[in-house]
Amino acid sequence: MSTTPDKLVERYLKHLEVELDDLPRDRRREIVDEIEGHIAEARAGLEHETEADVRNILEGLGDPADIAEDARERFEVRPPPAAQPFKPGWMEVAALILLLVGGLLIPIFGWIIGVVLLWFSNAWNVRDKIIGTVFVPGGLVLPIGLAVFSSGVSGGTCGPVISGSGRAITAAPCSYDATSTNVFGIVAVIALIVVPIVTTAYLAYRLRQQPSAAAIA
Amino acid sequence: MVAPAKQDALLAQMRKGTLQYCVLALLADEERYGFDLVRSLAETDGMVTSEGTIYPLLSRLRRDGLVETTWRESTSGPPRRYYRLTADGRGALDAFRGEWGRFRDAVDHFVERKAG
Repeated sequence: MSTTPDKLVERYLKHLEVELDDLPRDRRREIVDEIEGHIAEARAGLEHETEADVRNILEGLGDPADIAEDARERFEVRPPPAAQPFKPGWMEVAALILLLVGGLLIPIFGWIIGVVLLWFSNAWNVRDKIIGTVFVPGGLVLPIGLAVFSSGVSGGTCGPVISGSGRAITAAPCSYDATSTNVFGIVAVIALIVVPIVTTAYLAYRLRQQPSAAAIA
Repeated sequence: MVAPAKQDALLAQMRKGTLQYCVLALLADEERYGFDLVRSLAETDGMVTSEGTIYPLLSRLRRDGLVETTWRESTSGPPRRYYRLTADGRGALDAFRGEWGRFRDAVDHFVERKAG
């Protein structure tokens, strides 16, 4: 027997599972298990199974999206709020710009506004928002990083350097020579420039990717 | 005049609303497993468009206490979940039978007169 029918069934069930995502777990399990059983029964009744037979069985069951819609209606589960395509608005664009360079435009406050917009937006889920906030708040750290770098060159700081929001951003070594400071500073500045850009790019990517899924959380 | 799309939606709603009583009726005399139920429903043209939608319905009926299930061994494969009516399910079916009879007669009374 060819493996293609098995793959078709597997893909169908996986698709169904995804579509039923907003149903309570036990109900989703029950429905997927029963439909899996249905497919097995139907296939067992065939004498010489062909790929077309399996496709007919799956087509008879119907589109997983239709089954899920029916199930949501039966269980009175609200459809996902962003079933209609989500369109990033000014808030998302402003949040991304301010997170990236807000701290340069309006020192520190620009970044804070960016974070507030990030958290008010429905475009990202909580995980994305935490990433956007914690993982290198570029607009904030970049100016501080530059200050640390320049002070490091001009004489050095000792002990942890604490940012305005109370986060330790770096621990400067107490004894060092000019070369290691320079290397450290250059690495830090590159990280402080590159990582915010990567973070912002990630958030922008999440805006486009599965917006409905992101908006649920 | 109702737009065709609206009329389709209305018919789909009527089908959906009455489907559960068809399922209860199929279980009135004997217990059945899902695939068997679906096959019986699909034999009648126009009742089920997507067979898969029967399973959310069965799950809902079970949770509402109108049917109950038992797993039984099958001679030809893995065990099957059999559905059968509960007392509540029988009560719901009987109540619907009465109402449906009246409703059908009333609609026929108007619709058939106009057609004839």
